[in-house]
Amino acid sequence: MKKTIFSLAMVAILLLSACGGKTTGSNATNNGPVQITYMEWGDPAELSVWKAIVADFEAANPNIKVNVDVSDWDSYWTKLKTLLAANTPPDVFAMDAPLYLDYQSRGVLLNLQLYIDSNPGMLDGLFPNTLTAYQTPAGYFGLPRDFQTIVVFYNKDMFDKAGVPYPKSNWTYDDLRATALALTKDTSGDGKIDQFGYVIDPWDFEPGMSEIIWANGEDLINADHTKTLIGEPNARTAFQFLHDMMFVDHSIPDPNTSSQYGGDLFLSGNAAMIAMGHWAVPSYSEASFKWDVVQMPSGPAGQATSVNSAGFVVGKDSKNPDAAFAFIKFVLSTAGQTRLAEMGFACPVLRSVAESDAFLKQGTSINQQIFIDSLAFAHMKPVFKGYDEWSSTIGDGLTPMWNGEAELNPTLDQIVTQADAVLANNK
Amino acid sequence: MEYGLRPLGREKFWFWVMLIPTLIGLTFGALGSILATLGLSLTNWDLLRPPTWAGISNYLALFNNPAYFKALTNTFKFSAMYVPGVVIISLFVAVLMNRKIHGVSIFRTIYFLPAVTSAVATALVWNMIYGRDTGILNYLLNLLGQPSICWLCTKNALMSVVVVNIWGAIGEGMIIFLAGLTAIPREYYEAATIDGAGQFDQFFSITLPLVTPSIFFQTLISSINAFQAYDYIYMMTRQGQGDSSVPVVVFSIYRNAWNFFKYGGASAQAIELAVLVILLMGFYFWLERRYVVYE
Repeated sequence: MKKTIFSLAMVAILLLSACGGKTTGSNATNNGPVQITYMEWGDPAELSVWKAIVADFEAANPNIKVNVDVSDWDSYWTKLKTLLAANTPPDVFAMDAPLYLDYQSRGVLLNLQLYIDSNPGMLDGLFPNTLTAYQTPAGYFGLPRDFQTIVVFYNKDMFDKAGVPYPKSNWTYDDLRATALALTKDTSGDGKIDQFGYVIDPWDFEPGMSEIIWANGEDLINADHTKTLIGEPNARTAFQFLHDMMFVDHSIPDPNTSSQYGGDLFLSGNAAMIAMGHWAVPSYSEASFKWDVVQMPSGPAGQATSVNSAGFVVGKDSKNPDAAFAFIKFVLSTAGQTRLAEMGFACPVLRSVAESDAFLKQGTSINQQIFIDSLAFAHMKPVFKGYDEWSSTIGDGLTPMWNGEAELNPTLDQIVTQADAVLANNK
Repeated sequence: MEYGLRPLGREKFWFWVMLIPTLIGLTFGALGSILATLGLSLTNWDLLRPPTWAGISNYLALFNNPAYFKALTNTFKFSAMYVPGVVIISLFVAVLMNRKIHGVSIFRTIYFLPAVTSAVATALVWNMIYGRDTGILNYLLNLLGQPSICWLCTKNALMSVVVVNIWGAIGEGMIIFLAGLTAIPREYYEAATIDGAGQFDQFFSITLPLVTPSIFFQTLISSINAFQAYDYIYMMTRQGQGDSSVPVVVFSIYRNAWNFFKYGGASAQAIELAVLVILLMGFYFWLERRYVVYE
């Protein structure tokens, strides 16, 4: 009961603080600069990136001060919801595109359309695919900040040691499977595999599963978000392919195996390839081995990858929407995007910067161009209201199958029924 | 039963003044939030927009929610194994520790250690013990020529987690039982020894009946703990996307509220869990009247 009572107390605190007036909101005063808060998820390293960008912004706008607040992913959303419920939202906060409509449809975001209209041309240089996610019939309630295409990261040292040629940009899933198998080994000789060919996230569509479904010619969900398509024949072929790699070839570790390595198998040097986004580049840069990236392979329906964008939104109850928008505008400018690119965290949404040396010639010796080129065949990570519950239902449902405790086809049948029920409930 | 002095005159005034902070805390912290949850369970609330009236639809929806049903089943299965496990094992340990052996306090301390250790840290250690390819448990099994078992896979996870939770609770149970055991007068055992009763008979005829108040108390506490069990379970069975291979009701409440924007539905789950616990407690008190011996 203690936990329940704790949650109840949380709710009571929310109610009380909602009545208690707005104490944390910042106010513009006549003598001091305007204070705004920018809140986002990320690790401590990201805080220093944003501190650098904020310093640039404050130098250009001496009358605005920006407080940066970084939390880890889980606490970020809890904290954000609590602040929104108390009508004291941060002025600018980070948004993950798939979750955007969950907030936008609940009316807590400020419509940025008027600001965009008064800054003609400000969106012209942005990659169009990254903008689509934030478009609504009423206008933009958010703007993309950076984007993430999924590519294959590979350990060059491991390839060299095994005498396997590096993957090429026009490779296929059959090539991937053969390469992965050739790199799956028991290096310690204890009868158990400890080097895996390929790693995916078996519960989240983004790194690994959605790409192969699209490459097989199926989609995850229909256009009006009423029907889950992962049980369609072509999607089943894709799942069967990954299933075979996991349970026939053993070149993809199942979740129970990966959990024993307590983290990222690629970084720990236990996997030759991994489907991953640009966010991993800073931590992989500290790896003791040489690595590079290559496009996702192509399947029967061609090459496909996933693109998702983190974005900015402004709280509807923000006291300083003008200053908030000025900050967003700065981050999307050439100066802001260049700084973001130099720090190596994500791909800039501004095309001119993404194609400039600031992004392409960072400290790492990898081929950054691959992330940009992948946009040509990228599908957008689904964006709709209820996304979190829908994708959790699917992720939960797949677990017994990836653990080798349930058959593929009945599992997919069951998941589709449950996921469609979630879609119906969230309409 | 009246103990101590009753407050008189001006003392009464100060008596209430001193109590007021606690009472306010209880009213708003406990009672207020319980009432708030009750109210919220009758609404649809996503935290961001004003709640709308939902009547009992949140409760009705629970009957048609496979994820919630799974969580409820897990909670009951967990409790059914955990409560007898904790009561029996900690009573056994307490009886062992209730003897005049050299260094008994060291053993008592060792048994109590899990209770004062961070659940997150010990859960990580247990994860290493249970690891399928790298774990100590399977290493020992392999030495005995047995095949490895996947302790934390969906099939075995519930049982593995129950074991860890029992392990973590024995210390506290032992303390309760030790207190109960020391209260039993020595004369009973002396008389029984003279009458020729063995250790075994003494346990079942003297110890067990006289320790029933502690058993009752420990069962009650363990049941409440079982229904709110979360930390070890979360640490040992969590999976991507915030899922768990052994989702329990508390887990489901948290996830529905904070991940799925369903504060009304989550409140209904909390209330239903509370009602089930209250019913179970009622049953325990009925058992208490029939079987518990107070000297």
